[in-house]
Amino acid sequence: MIYLDNSATTYPKPQSVINALSYAVRELGANPGRSGHSMSVKAAKAVFEVREKAAAFFDAKPENVIFTSNCTHSLNTAIKGILKKGDHVITSSLEHNSVARPIFALQSEGVEVSVAPVYESDEQTKEAFERLIKKNTKAIVCTHASNVTGKLLPISSIARICREHGIAFIVDAAQTAGVIDVKLTDGVNVICTAGHKGLFGPMGTGLLITDGKFPIKPLTEGGTGNASLELSQPSELPEALESGTVNTPGIYALGKGLDFVSSLGTEKIYKHESKLCNILVSELEAIPEITLLRGEGSYAPIVSLNVNGVHSSEVAQYLSQKGVASRGGFHCAALTHGYLKTSDVGAVRLSPGVFTTERQIFTAAQMIKKFVKSQNTPL
Amino acid sequence: MKSRNYYIFALASVTYAIKAQSLLKSQGISCAVIRTPKELGKGCGYSIKFFSDAERAAKLLKENNIEIKASYPKLSAEGGEGS
Repeated sequence: MIYLDNSATTYPKPQSVINALSYAVRELGANPGRSGHSMSVKAAKAVFEVREKAAAFFDAKPENVIFTSNCTHSLNTAIKGILKKGDHVITSSLEHNSVARPIFALQSEGVEVSVAPVYESDEQTKEAFERLIKKNTKAIVCTHASNVTGKLLPISSIARICREHGIAFIVDAAQTAGVIDVKLTDGVNVICTAGHKGLFGPMGTGLLITDGKFPIKPLTEGGTGNASLELSQPSELPEALESGTVNTPGIYALGKGLDFVSSLGTEKIYKHESKLCNILVSELEAIPEITLLRGEGSYAPIVSLNVNGVHSSEVAQYLSQKGVASRGGFHCAALTHGYLKTSDVGAVRLSPGVFTTERQIFTAAQMIKKFVKSQNTPL
Repeated sequence: MKSRNYYIFALASVTYAIKAQSLLKSQGISCAVIRTPKELGKGCGYSIKFFSDAERAAKLLKENNIEIKASYPKLSAEGGEGS
């Protein structure tokens, strides 16, 4: 199989990640942060070491690294934990439902919502956000890169606006962490990301990284392993936002994924994956039946396309039969497909990964061309 | 806690206890992560236990924003051992 669905989750995982899962189940099997015996403390140390790795990766303090179950969980925690009734929030037209749905759920509870259009020009996008700022604007929540097209948002200039206005800046880095640098020192207050995408951890892992400037009310209260006789939730991070037993095997393996990314370097990873995307674009752009969902500006390594009014699921199904894993449909992104006017057919998304080869990309391009040809052949 | 030949600092959580342990270890003070004794905290919690350099340890933790919630023996306001 030629796996071009790395935007959904990276596959395969490095051997070190696979080994780590097994090691953690065997050797770190006690509950970290709940008991005082040696295996419990050993597990807690292993979890802390991953906090340190993630902290170094995102320029954060280790105690401000919160382990979650996925990026959606991180985003819900940040969005619902910072915004309250009467606040105003601005998001973009290229959001995944993991941002859009919690925000629109808050709208029914008295939070005002504005959606800034994303333009090809970063300057225009920045101005669109700035124009929407009001007296009660509490946060800007946006993606670093669209999960449908890969379009990158100008997060450094949006961060500057947020700083000037004292607004919280929450970034969904699901498509970029591990591929394109995003750090708290870029001016982001809260970075939310998946552990199982560009960071190569297993599924069921996510990260919320905060600079602590905007307190986050917990989404869930419960056991934290400290202050157990008090009925109120302790306020210290990370435990305040990590009620319940954490996913030690997943976290430990995520640490190995972070090591893998750090050893290669995000720049090298981005260069490799972008080169593969450029090959796809140059192979397909001249074909009149194909519409590439790309324009000017910078993109994360994603190529999305449509074939002349054919539903994207049909194209993806054909590719699957030919051994190419892509993603058709709507990518959990109602706002984006509405904005791109692709709500009828969706899009076929191809997302190469670090293990994808040029040869595989040429083969995938061939298969797409074959599909186009099959559509042109009269029955 | 009858003997005074050791020190215990109760910290906010297991995260801070391990952070403190790693910090002190890097400065040549070895310590163990233990559950907080009932005399030093309400319910569950984590502490570090060690045998020397209490004043230096307290100073290092303070410099690194690791709050000592309670200690045995009790610390003076300056971070040294109290009476």
